[in-house]
Amino acid sequence: MAVDQLSSTFSALADPTRRAILARLAEGEATVNQLAEPFPITLQAVSKHLKVLERAGLIARGRSAQLRPSRLQGEALKEAADWLADYRGFWEEGFDRLGEHLHAIQKGSRG
Amino acid sequence: MTGATAQAITITRVYDAPRELVWKAWTEPGRLAQWWGKRGWSTPLSSITLDVRPGGTFRLNSISDADGSEMPLDSVYREVVEPERLSFGDASAGATVTFTDLGDGRTEMTFRTTMHGSDELRARAEGGLASAFDRLAEQLA
Repeated sequence: MAVDQLSSTFSALADPTRRAILARLAEGEATVNQLAEPFPITLQAVSKHLKVLERAGLIARGRSAQLRPSRLQGEALKEAADWLADYRGFWEEGFDRLGEHLHAIQKGSRG
Repeated sequence: MTGATAQAITITRVYDAPRELVWKAWTEPGRLAQWWGKRGWSTPLSSITLDVRPGGTFRLNSISDADGSEMPLDSVYREVVEPERLSFGDASAGATVTFTDLGDGRTEMTFRTTMHGSDELRARAEGGLASAFDRLAEQLA
């Protein structure tokens, strides 16, 4: 995934309302009205969030002009998660090696 | 705390070693060279510069044993409180490592990525992503 795509994915995910929308869409596709229900925000605000999510490739929206149900697109989210896992994995693995290093040098000094 | 202000990546380890030794492993080039980076990667001593004081250089270069690709780190120490806390980073991103003496010869190390300024958003996203995934992981298999 291009870095810019990843940046827009992370930016989209930085907002708690948008994450909540994604969580709702994980249960199945939904219209703007359905998505707006749990939030004390306007339909326009929800639409704005959906646009951001769509641009980030996190959701796709139906063609039907009236309802345009949204559904989750797992790929962008998975790419973001993979990136994050790689990043975390880099440190985790280094810290494993640090543990082995500490073990080895103490063993050396003790006997 | 809401998702928007959630912390970035945090990793905690407990090592069966005194705190001074864990500190040295981070701050002495000869020791750092022995553990830094992923498995299958080497960090040559000659690539390491550790000027362990606020504003000092923290630089190294890890090289893949398999294909020679490089993963350099070129950073600056922000905070140096021996042997308790070490932080490094630039204007956009960094990390803080905290060492706690558990009193029984073991040391708890907490590593936390920190973000400043323009990359704060990404830091928040990283933190929030984990909670998003608690609920979404099943959908992505």
